[in-house]
Amino acid sequence: MTTRGGAFGLELPVERHLLANGLRVVLSADHAAPIVCVAVYYHVGMRLEPRGRTGFAHLFEHLMFQGSPSLGKMEFARLVQENGGSLNGSTRFDFTNYFETMPSHTLDLALWMEADRMRGPVITQAELDNQRDVVKNEIRVNVLNRPYGSFPWIDMQAAAFTNWHNSHNGYGDMADLDAASLADVEAFFRTYYSPANAVLVLVGDFEAATALGLVRRYFEEIPAAPRPAAPAIDEPRQEQERRASHADLLANRPAIAVSYHTPERGSREYYALGLLDEVLLQGEDSLLHQELVSRRGFAADVDGGINFLGHMHNAQTPLLWTAELIHDSSVAVEAILEAFDAVIERVRIEPLAQPVLDRALVKARAALYGAINDTTYPGAGRADLLAAFELFEDDAAQVNTIEQRFAAVTPELVMETAREYLRAANRTVLTVVPGAASGAGLGAVPGAMG
Amino acid sequence: MSPPRPTPGAPVAARIPARDDRHLANGMRATFVRVGAVPLAAVRLVIRTGSADVAAGQGWLDRFAHDYLREGTEGSDAVAFADALAAIGGRLAIDADEHTTVLHTEVLAEHAPRAITLLAEVARHPRFPDGEAPRLRADLRRSLDLALAQPQYLAFAAFRAALYPGHPYGRVVPDPAAFDAFDAAVTRAYWAAQSGAQRALLLVGGMFDAEPAARAWRAAFEDWAPGAPPAEHRPTPASGRTVRLVDRPGAEQSTVYVGRVVPDPTQPDYVPLEVANFLLAGSFHSRITMNIREAKGYTYSPRGLLSSRPHDAHWVEVADVTTEVTGAAIGEVFHEIERLRGEAPSAEELLGIQNYASGSFVIRQATPGGILDHLEFLDLHGLDEGYSAAYVDRVRAVTPGDVRRIAEQYLGTEAMTIAIAGDRARVDEQVAAFGTPSG
Repeated sequence: MTTRGGAFGLELPVERHLLANGLRVVLSADHAAPIVCVAVYYHVGMRLEPRGRTGFAHLFEHLMFQGSPSLGKMEFARLVQENGGSLNGSTRFDFTNYFETMPSHTLDLALWMEADRMRGPVITQAELDNQRDVVKNEIRVNVLNRPYGSFPWIDMQAAAFTNWHNSHNGYGDMADLDAASLADVEAFFRTYYSPANAVLVLVGDFEAATALGLVRRYFEEIPAAPRPAAPAIDEPRQEQERRASHADLLANRPAIAVSYHTPERGSREYYALGLLDEVLLQGEDSLLHQELVSRRGFAADVDGGINFLGHMHNAQTPLLWTAELIHDSSVAVEAILEAFDAVIERVRIEPLAQPVLDRALVKARAALYGAINDTTYPGAGRADLLAAFELFEDDAAQVNTIEQRFAAVTPELVMETAREYLRAANRTVLTVVPGAASGAGLGAVPGAMG
Repeated sequence: MSPPRPTPGAPVAARIPARDDRHLANGMRATFVRVGAVPLAAVRLVIRTGSADVAAGQGWLDRFAHDYLREGTEGSDAVAFADALAAIGGRLAIDADEHTTVLHTEVLAEHAPRAITLLAEVARHPRFPDGEAPRLRADLRRSLDLALAQPQYLAFAAFRAALYPGHPYGRVVPDPAAFDAFDAAVTRAYWAAQSGAQRALLLVGGMFDAEPAARAWRAAFEDWAPGAPPAEHRPTPASGRTVRLVDRPGAEQSTVYVGRVVPDPTQPDYVPLEVANFLLAGSFHSRITMNIREAKGYTYSPRGLLSSRPHDAHWVEVADVTTEVTGAAIGEVFHEIERLRGEAPSAEELLGIQNYASGSFVIRQATPGGILDHLEFLDLHGLDEGYSAAYVDRVRAVTPGDVRRIAEQYLGTEAMTIAIAGDRARVDEQVAAFGTPSG
């Protein structure tokens, strides 16, 4: 990273290569510390999985730790750890990723392991059954046994989207998970995990030529296979406000979320919405915080943003921009919506003052840098942005234009964007009806009161 | 076919970024660390006060004070203050535990001095406007209600109450009736008594210039009164088996805490304990995780960890397990502990864990967040940079026999405290073998 014109600016080194089997490779050197992050992104996620196989993209992610041609169950994790590294994987709407941050002298091994895994899972029925149980427990801890566990992400997508790909529960129906077989695993791998449907990103302390040589050595011989056809995930223009309600037996206070369909990724309006998000919703200087929290006292906080499973830079569109809060039963939903609408109306009827827009730009830049600055897996945040731009805009180097795209947004464009996208007809209002009594847990823990 | 697996060559020498420690005459300290590759600065004002300093019967006064601190400074109301911090890319965050309250923010690196000045205004000259107290009390009641609906909070509270009876560490759940008395005057008195230069440490990490930051620090804090020294709160932890159960009728999972008190970070056995925990429970490939997740599928995110306060630490395994296997899961946790107590691990297994422990230590030192966390840990326990410098060697010095001895000496299951938030009707019988649940 270098400085530019006296002010800091993002200028990540980006080197891009295409292997003969279609694998896209992105190298971004960073010599600040003797570590390297190796990340493989497959272009399949919760909304790109096929019908009748809900939750399969996520279950498959778990299976990729269960064994590959040269590695047994959990040997991948053991090898990373015993070489001083840390690893993880995740399933998002538009990709499934696998990454490890390692001491830089183990780059050779890390690439060998990811290449081995790209040749496909080699697993038994017992390993499939085991990870099915693990995934069910993940759904229980995050959704079924947790108050507000499906709020708003699962419930809002069901209410706001009409295209099955966008609206279905990507964690999966238990029946679909139960039906998953080894044959399904094989078919899913063949369809979605070809080198041509993947991006490999290296971030960290390496020499590009040496690293590329290792990449070619381990990945080039993986057989080519066609890239799967991308499913149509587009949504029709919404012309009427939608309302939905969800009864949550574990929740003890009502909640409300409001979601608007976003502009298309990469468009000028998309970046204008990114700045509107900063003006309206992010931080205590935001207009919604000041109105709903500070002035009206409806909630201790108002949360939200673009993309339930990430941020505005690491997903395809359609996406939703969402504001959400948990409030007291004594406050009517309509009172909250009325106050909410008054704030939204302000940015629709007059352009933002330039200082407000300037502040939003600084906040957006800081948020971008924060996304790069991954503390748990150093390098993984940078790899994530590079992979997202390679997957979704065909060029990882476009990461270095994000700040310019924000800077090109004018007060007039913000107002036009608010007028078109922050229409009531373009939104869905979701409420949570609590099923648990307020204060019910009090006194349940003896000796804990003080 | 895959090519043969490569063997890594010699490791590059670990580089721990240099810390620049400074002092003021009033007792305030600062540490600046230039680290990372992103033009941000992480700024943390660490004040040595926490929930343990709150009087019994005033539970969550500390949280109320943190919320109130967000309501502006003498010079700026809440909106003006939030605008000023946002204009440099920051937002105020306040995190706290039993002994530490941390006011922190991340800003564009060139604005680190301004962020230091703004955090000083919050800590030294908070506004505490009278009119906001009723709203903040309502927020506090709502926050408590939401916490009590969370199984993890209930299990945590029950575990703490059993492990630290009659001590602030065990009083997790506040009495909401006491909230009625929380107002500006009470908060102002609490904050004045609990803050001051000799209890404060400024930490700055990232790609910033140290000298302008140090100048801003000196100007903002050098005339701060030292304040009272922090109080000590040494607990007398429970010894012996206790089982607590918080009933959540119909729950699909049981949230389980199993743990006991162990040596604190100033003791020679703490680093070997960390290594033993990584091997037993504290890593993806650890024995307990391999057993109850990867072999049995009882749970998604089991984890073993060491939690520490000055002169106190405990080891604990935490897992959300399917209700039907609550007893079986605890049985497997105990089985793995007893197995380690009975037989030393192989040198090979231990070496892998040692590499993980030292590798993740070095990797975390590569980021501002990781290094500032470590500096907070050192400061809380009165450890100096010698601890950091010796850490990797201490990890490597642990032998298989040490790990077995550590488990034998400190992790005996007969004295484990068990706390469960789950469906009593289906769980009671399952856990009867471990003791009679109370609560």
